[in-house]
Amino acid sequence: MLKFISKAVLAGTVLLAAGAAEAADYPDKPIEVIVGFDAGGGTDVMARTVAPFIEKYLGDGASVVIKNVPGASGQIGVTQAANAAPDGYTLGTFNLPGMMARTIDRKSDYDLDSFTYLANVVNDPNVIVTSKASGLDTLDKLIAEAKANPGSVTVGMSSLGGDDHFALIKLQNLIGTEFTIVPFKGSAPARTALMGGHVAMGILNISEVAKFRDQLNVLGVALNKRSDFAPDLPTFKEQGLDLVNGAMRGFIAPAGLPDDAKSKLEMAFSKLKDDPDFLKAMKDTANPVEVVTGDDFKAMTKDIYDLAKKVWETTPWN
Amino acid sequence: MVEPRASRLLRPETLTALGIIAVAAAFLIPALELRANSALLPVAMLIGLIVLATVLLISDQRKAAAGHVSKPMTKAPGRVAGAFLLVIAYVVATSLIGFYPATIITVPLVAHVFGYRSFFGLAAATLIVVGAIYLVFDYAMAQQFPTGLLLGR
Amino acid sequence: MYSELLHALPEVLTFANFMAVIVGVVAGIVVGAMPGLSATMAISVLVPFTFGMSPLVALGLMAGIYNGAMYGGAIPAVLLRIPGTPAAVATTFDGYPMAQKGQGGFALQVAVVSSSIGGIASAIALMVLAPPLSRVTLLFGPSEVFWVAIFGLASIIFLLGGNPVKGLISACFGVFVSVIGSDPIFGNDRFTFGQLEMLDGINIVILLVGLYALPPVIDLLEVPLKTDGVNGSKLGTEPIWRALPRMKRFWKTWIRSSIIGIWIGILPGAGGSMAAFMSYNEARRASRTPDTWGNGEPEGVAAAETANNADTASALIPALTLGIPGTAVAAVMLGGLLIHGLQPGPMLFRENPDIVFGFMWQFLFGAILLVLLGGSLATNSFARLLNLPRPLLGSVIIVLMLIGVYSIHGRMFDVYLMLLFGAIGYVMDKLKFPLPPVVLGLILGGFAEENLRLALRIGRGDWSILFANVTSLVIVALTVAVIVGPMIKRLLSKDGKTAEGN
Repeated sequence: MLKFISKAVLAGTVLLAAGAAEAADYPDKPIEVIVGFDAGGGTDVMARTVAPFIEKYLGDGASVVIKNVPGASGQIGVTQAANAAPDGYTLGTFNLPGMMARTIDRKSDYDLDSFTYLANVVNDPNVIVTSKASGLDTLDKLIAEAKANPGSVTVGMSSLGGDDHFALIKLQNLIGTEFTIVPFKGSAPARTALMGGHVAMGILNISEVAKFRDQLNVLGVALNKRSDFAPDLPTFKEQGLDLVNGAMRGFIAPAGLPDDAKSKLEMAFSKLKDDPDFLKAMKDTANPVEVVTGDDFKAMTKDIYDLAKKVWETTPWN
Repeated sequence: MVEPRASRLLRPETLTALGIIAVAAAFLIPALELRANSALLPVAMLIGLIVLATVLLISDQRKAAAGHVSKPMTKAPGRVAGAFLLVIAYVVATSLIGFYPATIITVPLVAHVFGYRSFFGLAAATLIVVGAIYLVFDYAMAQQFPTGLLLGR
Repeated sequence: MYSELLHALPEVLTFANFMAVIVGVVAGIVVGAMPGLSATMAISVLVPFTFGMSPLVALGLMAGIYNGAMYGGAIPAVLLRIPGTPAAVATTFDGYPMAQKGQGGFALQVAVVSSSIGGIASAIALMVLAPPLSRVTLLFGPSEVFWVAIFGLASIIFLLGGNPVKGLISACFGVFVSVIGSDPIFGNDRFTFGQLEMLDGINIVILLVGLYALPPVIDLLEVPLKTDGVNGSKLGTEPIWRALPRMKRFWKTWIRSSIIGIWIGILPGAGGSMAAFMSYNEARRASRTPDTWGNGEPEGVAAAETANNADTASALIPALTLGIPGTAVAAVMLGGLLIHGLQPGPMLFRENPDIVFGFMWQFLFGAILLVLLGGSLATNSFARLLNLPRPLLGSVIIVLMLIGVYSIHGRMFDVYLMLLFGAIGYVMDKLKFPLPPVVLGLILGGFAEENLRLALRIGRGDWSILFANVTSLVIVALTVAVIVGPMIKRLLSKDGKTAEGN
């Protein structure tokens, strides 16, 4: 009984303190970031690289803790983040188009409106590569071959319903032909199959081919302007092909975040893009940066969702 | 000595074979709804299981008909069932009241129930196990264990 | 390149970096020896902490843990017939019978020496042959990898045990478990019952702990109290220098198993357990006395343990050069490398030679240290655990099982799944269904399916793609030789016997 009373008193004091402090100093306890992948994965490394900089810009001894909740390509973690209390102390990582595509191709406990969109941090644009053995060393040769023999060009990529797949669908619509999709488990096996000449063409991301330029033909980058990651690579637009697509990684919080927490977090994220230390750390860990915050991030997510939905309705992938 | 019909069906191998056939057949229903390539391997394995279990069933029944008496699976069914129940109870307790409380209760309880009665030994073992786990996993590696649904955080 | 190798050496020998290897090896042995805790789990728990460490300290810890755990798994495999890690399954075949005959100490010494030799061979292969061996990996596309998986599955026929029907049931069960989860090509659910937790398939550790660790625990509790534990006093230990001469005759097995382990390591996806199974089978086929195998033949322990350490460093060859890990542990280590800005690829060796070559040295030292640390640690202190009274030992193992399975993904769902496999495992154990085919089926079944279907996609539905190149044909020929060879041999010897009888 005594214990109960002391607990109740303690709880009361904490509540009072919290109430008084809420307006002034968010954050007053560690902020947890739920990462939907294992420690050491691309998204995890991004989150861990970003964390100290967010601590710095939130100031006041703020602390950010990473929690890995791996499984189902990040879906378990993002579901947990969507359903967490919207108090600013639970955030989550967010991958596009994956997280939105999963609301279309399977049952999910979250949707477009489940989140407060904080910031997209990484945009890893798609690239089209061909194997040295294929002899298709220019974009024109590749397109000519694909049009001459629809389906004859095998395309290695990571799983269906991801950014690689959407890039290929865009390409197919642009040039009006078919490719044969070979979906590997992840990009690294796809890249290895390309290097070994087992598939002719591949759709990967720029960070995944940057270290393998000598072993592959990289035909172009699906960005509006050239990437800082490999400035010598031409975009598809330069080559007359309107193909823009990529993998996005960013941060969300549950919907209904208090304004104070939301504005502080957005402010902290928006400062990232001008921090040279941050940019260097991201480049070292193969993360091309493109910071998009708040409503712009939400609009971007909506566009990707609409595209995925349209693709699913015409050509479902499972 | 010939076993009566009812007990012929209760031979452990016969029961197992029947169980495999039932479970594999149940899995066949969703398996057949999959697309051709996706269904290939699962269906092959399930049909394989059914065929093999049928062979096992027939050979076991032949043995029974020939008067071969099956050995019971355990000499102490009570202890085996008790051990299983305790393990299950431990896992359920971990989800309900959290890892550390459940472990502190389970380690001495299991050892005590199954015949190790030294108070000192039990206390020391519990302390060493829980302490070592705390030091290595919680303290050094910051691993989080379930805190329990009832107590929460 | 070799001058860079030497250049990296002094850095590795600094106090902090060398201590990291020592600590790693000891931690690895302990982790490996705990049923349920595997090297993969230990390293993935470690990865977040390596953020704050200097690269060589972090990598040294990982290299040490990997080497240590591959041997550590042998300790409970020998003493309790519970493989401490998936790769130690083949060690139980002869290790446990040896322990029952009172040669447990010698079995552990064979294991530690063999592990060390395998690890050294592998580290040297990594140091000297990484670039050329990575080109071998490139030869293996989906159709070739499919045949490798079939080659591995074919070795199940040697693991069927006394009753082939039961053995095949075990194998079918294992392969069926491997298809649970999302379809490898389309990504649609197969038998997940809407559970997101099952979408990635069933982790091998969950199955292994359920099948192998729960039944012995029940057995420990089934027999009424005996305070003397599991014959711990009859380990039969002697100083390792006196045991060494008795191992001289294993030299052929050591060489053969090292080569098999290194080869399996550089192929993506197969991993230590397949290396151990294959090398065990090959060593038995080469043996003059195959009948003693499975009844406590020390050479069987040597074969399995050499191979599961020989794939450690070699699994990093494709990981470092191509970004595709040869084993689950190598996959986690790749994450550890990325954290330190080491991106895999051909450029890695040029951009960060000191760290990459230093890491290789650490592997070599880890393997050498294994004999020194493992020899005394295992026989003198670890094995004493078995002197614990049975009920106490049982309850401690139950706790370790829960921790190990829970830590894979941090969720209780997996623990309940493990209980289900435990119940199945208990029935299988009592009715003498062999367990190794289940493990092999789970590891290779889904792997074979995925690559078959990728190959068929590349061939646009034409099955002839499976025989379209030399590499595939060579593996097919090997598989046929492995399956048919013993049959012909048996037929011939039968003919011989009947002829003599007449």
